[in-house]
Amino acid sequence: MKKRVTLTFPRQVVQMPVTYRLAKDFNVAANIIRAQVAPNQVGKLVVELSGDIDQLEAALDWLGQQGIEIGLTSREITIDEESCVHCGLCTGVCPTQALTLDKHTWLLNFARSRCIVCEQCIPTCPVVAISTQF
Amino acid sequence: MPLRTVAEINEKIDRGQVTVWTVAELKQRVGEWGIRRCAETVDVVTTGTYEPMEASAAVLNIGQTDPPLKIRQAWLDGVPAYAGFGAADLMIGASQPTEAEDQERGGGHVIEALVDGRAVALRAVGYQTDCYPRASLETTLTRETVNQFYLYNPRNLYQNFIVGVNGGERTLYTYLGPLLPQLGNAVYASPGALAPLMNDPDLTWVGIGTRIFLGGGEGYIAWEGTQHFPLQKRLENRTPVGPAATVALIGDARSMGRPWVRGCYFKHYGPSLMLGVGVPFPVVDETVIAACAVRDEEVVAPVMDFAIPRRVRPSFGLVTYAQLKSGRITVDGRPVRTAPLASLHLSLKVAETLRDWIAAGRFRLTEPVAALPRDRTFLAQDVVG
Repeated sequence: MKKRVTLTFPRQVVQMPVTYRLAKDFNVAANIIRAQVAPNQVGKLVVELSGDIDQLEAALDWLGQQGIEIGLTSREITIDEESCVHCGLCTGVCPTQALTLDKHTWLLNFARSRCIVCEQCIPTCPVVAISTQF
Repeated sequence: MPLRTVAEINEKIDRGQVTVWTVAELKQRVGEWGIRRCAETVDVVTTGTYEPMEASAAVLNIGQTDPPLKIRQAWLDGVPAYAGFGAADLMIGASQPTEAEDQERGGGHVIEALVDGRAVALRAVGYQTDCYPRASLETTLTRETVNQFYLYNPRNLYQNFIVGVNGGERTLYTYLGPLLPQLGNAVYASPGALAPLMNDPDLTWVGIGTRIFLGGGEGYIAWEGTQHFPLQKRLENRTPVGPAATVALIGDARSMGRPWVRGCYFKHYGPSLMLGVGVPFPVVDETVIAACAVRDEEVVAPVMDFAIPRRVRPSFGLVTYAQLKSGRITVDGRPVRTAPLASLHLSLKVAETLRDWIAAGRFRLTEPVAALPRDRTFLAQDVVG
């Protein structure tokens, strides 16, 4: 199974090769979606973890023991209504159809509950109307 | 049988008695009313589109400085502008990328900023001569502080376009946006039956001098557009099966505004300009209504595989705009999600705005002063030797 988490590293843990340990000790693949890591600073990592369900749970427990804060809800996608031109280009790359066009008005609809924050829409938008922040 | 002339329609506009429908309203009602009754009732049908049109540009005359300057090279917000005209003339193209690093900006964004009334930095290097002694100029420009500012777009309003897909193994970054591998998505760029020139397939009611809605202001058809290809294959209803006619447009950019002029950027492809353009058709006889009645089920576009980077790309065949707008087409036996690149919402809004202008008496129709070429062949650049 897959799980998307936001990991916040205290300063002293930034040196630890976390994705290596996840792979070696738990056979969990960590696909890094976003990262902000610098020496001696609090680091942030948005990762999609995939692996066996029990090993995933064990990996998350282990991460917690290292003092790494685990956020299961990463930041949400925001659409700037002032900027959006409703071209709909984003609807073609959205894997869950959270972004759709209304068939009558052709306005862009965003169903937040369906969004998995894969962020493929962000670079697709030609007018930079879609964003997410750490 | 002629029903009314353009002059008679303009008299009705002046008296506030004109009947104007958008082409969407017409398409909806013509089934019930019939062509004859619609033609007798309606004086003008308005059409509109809103899509990226990268072959667009702004012309500026900045107003001469003292001592005077003959511009040899110039940058507007870091985007190179062409200066090979008169001493104080500049032209900035929508698809010209910025020279600033790590910025996804270009000429389209500079044009948008100027249209919006925002300040833009000018850096100009002069060619010093006896009559133009100044060596350089750095200043800020706004649309109010330049002498002239108009759009001149060498190619707009494509009469139909293609549908892009990617049959390859990696994401392609194209002028249609990202195309996902293994036929992951399909992108279409024309609003289909709403597109202005799809409703006048043989260019009968538009020509050089036709007054139009351009970027929220008034503009004119100036010439045939670059890559104008009226001889494209056509269906029985005369609509083309792929890219065909184009027009060059001109209009005072000071009369334009948001949201009709927007800079845009396609990842790993480059900058462009999203533009709203509307064309009114005078209902001089029933054939105007018959042409404007064309539906998305009756217009088609070719599905092209961008994985083959050649001038002539392999086609997966034709699909209708009704299929494209349903959100799913079948390519190579597989269902593929579709997404538009033209804003259908703002395309409808362009036609509605132009309708309201005409009904309010603030926009009069013109007759073309010359026809657009209808039999022009397309010469490609085939390298010899």
